[in-house]
Amino acid sequence: MSTFKDADEVYAYIGKAMEACVVEPAFVEATKDGSLVVKIIQTAPDATILVDFPGQKVLCGDAAVDAPSTVQLRMSSDNANRFWQGKLNFTLAMAQRKIKLEGKRSTALGLLPLTGPIFDTYKTILADAGRTDLIVD
Amino acid sequence: MSDKMTEDEFEAAFAAATELSEYFREIGPDCDVKNKFPKQSIAKFKKSGLVALNVPKEYGGLGADILQTSKIISELSRGDSAITLAYNMHFIMVGMCMGLFSEAQNKEWLGRVADGDIVFGPFSEQRAGFSGLADMTAVPQPEGGWRLYGKKVWGTLSEAANIVTTNATITDADGNLPDTFEERVEQESFFVAEFKVDAKGQGDGVRIERTWDALGMHATGTHTIHFEGFYVPEDGFVCSWRGGAFGVLEWASLMFASIYLGMQYRVLEEARAVLSKKTLGATFGAIAAAETKVANVGHIIDGIGDMASRVELSRRVVHRTCQELVDGYDDNWPVELRFPYIGLAKTFTAENVMYMTKRAMSLVGGSSFRRGAIFERLYRDSAASMFQPLNADQSCTYIGEQLLAPEELSD
Repeated sequence: MSTFKDADEVYAYIGKAMEACVVEPAFVEATKDGSLVVKIIQTAPDATILVDFPGQKVLCGDAAVDAPSTVQLRMSSDNANRFWQGKLNFTLAMAQRKIKLEGKRSTALGLLPLTGPIFDTYKTILADAGRTDLIVD
Repeated sequence: MSDKMTEDEFEAAFAAATELSEYFREIGPDCDVKNKFPKQSIAKFKKSGLVALNVPKEYGGLGADILQTSKIISELSRGDSAITLAYNMHFIMVGMCMGLFSEAQNKEWLGRVADGDIVFGPFSEQRAGFSGLADMTAVPQPEGGWRLYGKKVWGTLSEAANIVTTNATITDADGNLPDTFEERVEQESFFVAEFKVDAKGQGDGVRIERTWDALGMHATGTHTIHFEGFYVPEDGFVCSWRGGAFGVLEWASLMFASIYLGMQYRVLEEARAVLSKKTLGATFGAIAAAETKVANVGHIIDGIGDMASRVELSRRVVHRTCQELVDGYDDNWPVELRFPYIGLAKTFTAENVMYMTKRAMSLVGGSSFRRGAIFERLYRDSAASMFQPLNADQSCTYIGEQLLAPEELSD
């Protein structure tokens, strides 16, 4: 059984964390002159989130599915839950095909060291929503 | 001032490399016989200015990019492959570190390199070489920082180095490694620290055991490094090792490729020098003639042409791969295949240099087999190309596995 009961939960928690991500000063500085638009395609449950870094906006669901992107990141929703808490090693997950990264990868990989503050933001969102069961030890 | 190395600056650096290469050529045979790293070359290396070759200009270096660095390493290797392979360790680690260090670390450590310090990086351990997760431990200390315990078996350039970079797995306070594979990956870390040993190779918590005894590349002085409570302060932590190294391993792969390209230049040069002049006098064998000049013999002509073609192809493969990285074209490759695709330049030059050293010996004849002949030396040295990661077998496995993997995620 999945960690999330449906796509709306994914958007409410991970989508909200991404909204914080695009205005995080370190991300803004790193992406302001680029074209990095990441489409996060999740499975079980199926969900799509578009993170437009230069535009500092996040789209969820159907609006995200058809929108153009420069990088596509695929993973299960459970692994997304772990990843955004800093509990999934990105390089190892790629080697084990738990994550698939396609498109222009250099800018996206360059953002990995900046993800630390997002982990805390995501966990706070989960805690505020009373979903401490999703927080990974 | 341009932040890149200009053409004029490159020409000056290349001229310095040519001079140093001549020196390496002169001292190389003795180092090979005595199986030792030429410590007398350290001062010359530093004086050449090339120690700061690929350090970015903002930290006081010459600012060479990966293609410019490759060309200079090949020029050095043309003089002596083994001595250059030793100093190659320095260029590799500078290249990798500048992509992984924090700004403060770049200022401190690359600044020191710009002032003449030499870096080495022992990573491989006995069990599984570079692929193996570090069994070497980094035990957290109450006062902060870590103490390293373990052994690295390919400590190239240790006898010249002032700075050590290495990988170790962070343990609990009692020195226990993490229980799970995932945690081990997570805790395997990259460190940088001051490296100081005495003439006997003994330092504070670290020592060099002079174990180097191999078929070729004698002058590299690739010894065993024992870390016996070696202290690394907190600011010596660089990053998670595997995640970090993944993005910068081109500096290892392509610099090794450049070594073997330089060797190919030398094999062709030596073969031409011998075969363009060699005469056999009167022969009555495969050729029956009153006077046989080998430069007129069909298979010798073809052999030189074949070797020259391989040199040119290898040059194009190495330089083009470097240029594609400089231009950012690698962004178009599937991310999983980036490292093995970069590695193709190394496996291609490795295959060619091994083929060429064998072919050159065959063309030159039995004299090439005698100890001390440049050809037997290059033959032995070229065999080292089989081992630096990724080797040809690993590259094909890596690529094939990715291409045959199902589209679905593994979970």
